[in-house]
Amino acid sequence: MATTAVTTARAPFERVSRRSTPYVFVVGLALAVFALIGPAQFINALTIGAIYALVALGYTMVYGIIELINFAHGDVFMVGAFVSMFTLTTILGDGSFSLGVGPTVALIIVAFAGTMAVMGVLGVLIERFAYRPLRNAPRLAPLITAIGVSFILQNAVQIVYGPSPINTPQLIPPTARIEIGSISIGLINVFVIGSSVGLMVALRLFVNRTRLGRAMRATAQDREAAQLMGVDINRTIALTFFIGSALAGAAGVVQGFYFGNIQFNLGFQAGLKAFTAAVLGGIGNITGAALGGFVIGFVEVTAAAFGLFVWGQALVFAVLIITLIFRPSGLLGQQLGERA
Amino acid sequence: MRLSRLGAAVVVATMVAAACSSTPGGSGGAGQKGTLKLGVTLPLSGGAAADGQPTLKGAKLAVDEANAKGGIGGYKLELMPLDHAVNGKYNEQQAAQDMQTFVADAAVIGVVGPYNSAVGKVQIPISNDAGLVQCSPANTNEGLTKPEFGALNLRKNHPDRINYIRVATTDDIQGPAMAVYGFNTLKLKNVLIIDDVTTFGKGVADNFEKKWKELGGTVVDRVGAGADTTDFNGIITAAKPKNPDGVYYGGVVTSGAGLLLKQLRQQGLTIPFMGPDGIVNGNGDAEGSLIKVAGAQNAANSYGTIAAIGDFPAKKDFDAAFSEHFKGDSDFKTPGAYSGPAYACATVVLKSLEEFLKTNASADQKAIREGVRAYASDPSHSFDTVLGKTSFDKNGDNTQKFISFYVTDPAAPNNGDWVFKEQQDFGGS
Repeated sequence: MATTAVTTARAPFERVSRRSTPYVFVVGLALAVFALIGPAQFINALTIGAIYALVALGYTMVYGIIELINFAHGDVFMVGAFVSMFTLTTILGDGSFSLGVGPTVALIIVAFAGTMAVMGVLGVLIERFAYRPLRNAPRLAPLITAIGVSFILQNAVQIVYGPSPINTPQLIPPTARIEIGSISIGLINVFVIGSSVGLMVALRLFVNRTRLGRAMRATAQDREAAQLMGVDINRTIALTFFIGSALAGAAGVVQGFYFGNIQFNLGFQAGLKAFTAAVLGGIGNITGAALGGFVIGFVEVTAAAFGLFVWGQALVFAVLIITLIFRPSGLLGQQLGERA
Repeated sequence: MRLSRLGAAVVVATMVAAACSSTPGGSGGAGQKGTLKLGVTLPLSGGAAADGQPTLKGAKLAVDEANAKGGIGGYKLELMPLDHAVNGKYNEQQAAQDMQTFVADAAVIGVVGPYNSAVGKVQIPISNDAGLVQCSPANTNEGLTKPEFGALNLRKNHPDRINYIRVATTDDIQGPAMAVYGFNTLKLKNVLIIDDVTTFGKGVADNFEKKWKELGGTVVDRVGAGADTTDFNGIITAAKPKNPDGVYYGGVVTSGAGLLLKQLRQQGLTIPFMGPDGIVNGNGDAEGSLIKVAGAQNAANSYGTIAAIGDFPAKKDFDAAFSEHFKGDSDFKTPGAYSGPAYACATVVLKSLEEFLKTNASADQKAIREGVRAYASDPSHSFDTVLGKTSFDKNGDNTQKFISFYVTDPAAPNNGDWVFKEQQDFGGS
């Protein structure tokens, strides 16, 4: 049952201001946060926000294309972190790693490529065996299946690795810093923000500029019409899952590098926050999910900076509720079936 | 047709009920009179294994030794451990269920445990109602026994019938002890205090803070970070400009102590990291230990207290007997911080059983349970345990009030370990 988009004619100025309000809001929020908590905490907020944003992208893409909230997505992120840890520890063995810049960069690329590929395949398999058979079933069925897949992933990892936190190799030393004039930023922060933003930009280019991306947008807009136009629906949906899961895998790699610690129950918290980010930004909207991730990062770190750490989660949801009151479809939300 | 089906159901139900009813006593192996059980309630799996497994083995050693001597009063002893860890963390609901199981089994004459104060809070009302003696080797929260801290709420129905005793010292002594150590010995002035918002963590951090301020130290920040927290970076960055020269974490490792320590070092803060007995839980190879989670190098410059005597008179012999007894096990072959206290707890219960049976040789299980409780909790009785002379006051607290101090040594075998430094006796008050 596809919904059709409704467009109304708007005066040019109105169109521009309507579209830019949420961006202004986020930029304004960023500046306010920066002024409130200072540059060090701001970098923290951007870093953690970048990780949430990467995970939120997968949520939003899957919802946009088949209107399913993929509760297993957070656990795909968790498995990605473990795959990355496994890859790196297998290559590095037990020894300490004081490698030069070249080998380190090579290893990082291997970690990313390997994890993203494996997680992409896992995402496709999950879609093929857990969701595709239920594509025409009532909406509740795939939702519950997603929860089931989430439990399977968590328990599988727990059986193999145990419930305690596991240490991951941090190829980028957390204490290394970059000096730009009088500003000093942690190298790891630059890495996290840089790679996340890079991946988000790459995704946006892919969705907007390539044929496959156009097929995805078409399927999200109107599945039957896209089918009539010759788009292979099954392949397109599988591709969406591949990309979304690969991005979650990349987020897992980044998580391992930044925190140095992973645990089997990482997926639940991260998935919840990423889902919140996706809804905040407008579910189905890629840019919205990215913005939503950063907003959540800002809120959490601001709460911590003001000694309200325990209230962090509550504040995130408060921001979500307030945003939805004023913009029911989220910050960049549009009607169901349209993509940014 | 319907009647015969109903009849069949009734017959089956009766058979099931008959099969399920517990047969009292049971035919023990060597004992002529049957088997009695010593329950053990601890978190034994996952991240909590580092806490629970060595403690369980302390109790097991005592029971095995008693059986080797031919049992007690003609009865054979059986250890009955129940694991209340869920997903690697202690779980109060599971612990409450386990205590109900112990209470319902008439052969259980005493319980050793629990390890975590939050679990004690949940279990004491159940065991107090049933009059089943419970000896904790490790609970430290003062609210479990002392009326002035609310303990009477836990034993509402029988406020004077003490069934809960413990050999560990309480947090109203443990917290301040580390405060004094940090201020006088480590010469710290400004401290960042974080707790995990649990019965134990918040309680001990409150006690630490109170004493710290009394001594004249300043608190840079006091933050509650729930037991689910994994990202402490925001808290650390917020505290850094205020120049803390030490950190105190009130909580256990499964609440994030290891992650906090790791993130502190990652942000460049190599200042002393202090904590209560929740962080002193094994060497760098033990699953779920602080040293393993944070990494041996990061764990350097960390100080912890144990609310029990660290260097007890019989320690060498106990350690040797323990290592010998469990040398065939796959892990946790050496005693942990609470193995000795667990052994002492089991000794107390078994000795109480022995003394009771001397004068009541033909008592039934119900009477034995009450007799053991009465004997163990009587303040006039004193027990010769591996920790020295042990007796309990009118609230069930140990009259011996030792706090032991430990410091991490990254160069120790097994990827770093805690090393005993000194101990102080706050008893006699």
